[in-house]
Amino acid sequence: MPDAAPLPLDPRAIRLDAEAGSRDDAIRQCGETLLAVGAIDEAYIATMIERERSISTYVGEGVAIPHGTLAGKDAVHHDAISVLRFPGGVDWDGEPVVLCVGIAARDDGHVRLLSELAQILLDPERAKALRETADAAEVFRLLQPAADE
Amino acid sequence: MPSIDSKDVKKIVVACDAGMGSSVMLASQLRKSLKGLPVEVEHTPVNSIPADADVIVCHAGLADRARASAPGTLLVPFQLFIGDPAVTKLVSTMKNGGTINA
Repeated sequence: MPDAAPLPLDPRAIRLDAEAGSRDDAIRQCGETLLAVGAIDEAYIATMIERERSISTYVGEGVAIPHGTLAGKDAVHHDAISVLRFPGGVDWDGEPVVLCVGIAARDDGHVRLLSELAQILLDPERAKALRETADAAEVFRLLQPAADE
Repeated sequence: MPSIDSKDVKKIVVACDAGMGSSVMLASQLRKSLKGLPVEVEHTPVNSIPADADVIVCHAGLADRARASAPGTLLVPFQLFIGDPAVTKLVSTMKNGGTINA
């Protein structure tokens, strides 16, 4: 097994049974999860919502990737990702979102993971697997960059 | 309207607000799609687009800021982060040769 750099995904930042009443509520929960693992200051969460209001982070296949603004970067302590699944769905300006990948980044620690996520979203079967799994280990397995397997 | 021949494109910049999320994702897709061609793909914040960018790819909602930041550089706006027709067209022109128009 090659030694792959660890993904910036803390097991505590995966919640697969979340519920949100609105898009902003879902984003706030993604932010609170990043806050809970010590990746950000609370101020970052407001910039995540601000960013979403200017341009949606919906990326297709029922997935959104909420993250902050350039100004919000100062409130990021380290690169981190949170994965929240909303089995009941969230209305994302008309698009039904089931999975949110919250992002806090100072550097490029999250790039491999996002790159893998893009590959998953281009493959409807894998996108469906990611949307439907209730198993955190499976989320890790799916997001692990293929080159490291 | 600016245009550029695909063989003169050495650097494509994917611009977004924070350079944190969607632009990173799109840049990685472009890099994969254009692998083997002599072109570099970068992602940068929209207000610090490098002067040697030949083509800027950015979300339509950021196009005005990108134009203000790099006037005169060819800009390809898109709406969808995955599978946007404008990006697909850019990739196919880069691969097959031809003129890229705004």
